[in-house]
Amino acid sequence: MMLLTCPNCGARNVSEFRYVGEAKSRPDPETATPEQWRRYLYFHRNPAGWIKETWYHGSGCRRYFGIERNTVDNAQRPAGVTS
Amino acid sequence: MSDIAAAPIARTALSFPGPVRTTDGWETTARHAAGGLRLADLGPLVKLTVRGPADGSVRAALGTSFGHTVRPRGGPLAGALVVGSGPGEWLVLGAPGTGGELLAGVRSIIADSGEFASVVDVTHGRALVRLTGADTPLLLSKVCAVDLADRVVPDGAAFRSSVARVVTDVVRDDVDGTRSYLLHCERSSGQYLADSLVDAGIEYGIEVGAPTEHDDATGHPR
Repeated sequence: MMLLTCPNCGARNVSEFRYVGEAKSRPDPETATPEQWRRYLYFHRNPAGWIKETWYHGSGCRRYFGIERNTVDNAQRPAGVTS
Repeated sequence: MSDIAAAPIARTALSFPGPVRTTDGWETTARHAAGGLRLADLGPLVKLTVRGPADGSVRAALGTSFGHTVRPRGGPLAGALVVGSGPGEWLVLGAPGTGGELLAGVRSIIADSGEFASVVDVTHGRALVRLTGADTPLLLSKVCAVDLADRVVPDGAAFRSSVARVVTDVVRDDVDGTRSYLLHCERSSGQYLADSLVDAGIEYGIEVGAPTEHDDATGHPR
């Protein structure tokens, strides 16, 4: 079982969380082309290595938070809060 | 036919086989538990949820923060149990029938603070049980993944986690040196949670019963 470290609650079972997705900047809807918007919605970097993600701790503090996770070995390090 | 309307009786989220009793307008089980591991239905307790800035005047007035509890000796919340149930989130538990006073007390705290905060009476919308006994950590370890060792969850600590896959506020509130936990969840999940705890506690001889007459509203000895 994978443990995820919530900045509020500490290490918890990953089943307490919801994966929100890769944290990335949202293009301006007023000026983005359909191609840019589609790329923002559906294309992900999916690297083998460190990635910044957003998670939601639904069974705990009910807060969104950012974390950096290594997709190779699930090592984690803190990132800035995204909400 | 009598022209005197009967007083309304509220029912807690939990029901158990056996006799029932009505106290303070609430119908609860009348079973008596005297064993070493006991589960009591504390549904009639007043339950208020307070939300506001995690570190402001409301927090200072309530006297506790996320992960901790306090029993104010004086002031508008005297006698209640204030639980820091989340970042910027509190749960206030009080004796049955004191909802109006506690609600007014928290409202005055919010008004004095000038902060953007809210308080809601969720007494009838939540389930609350007390689990008492030396084997409580063993029982909870079967349904909750959080380490309940003293260094992680000492007496007076609180956390929210998955208990039997139900999002539950867990408050450690020892009774006379005996391990005891309050478990608080949404009303609709209450019966399931209680049944899961009873199932998990069979091997430790769990008994379901009302708090004794010597206990105060939160199941604590007077």
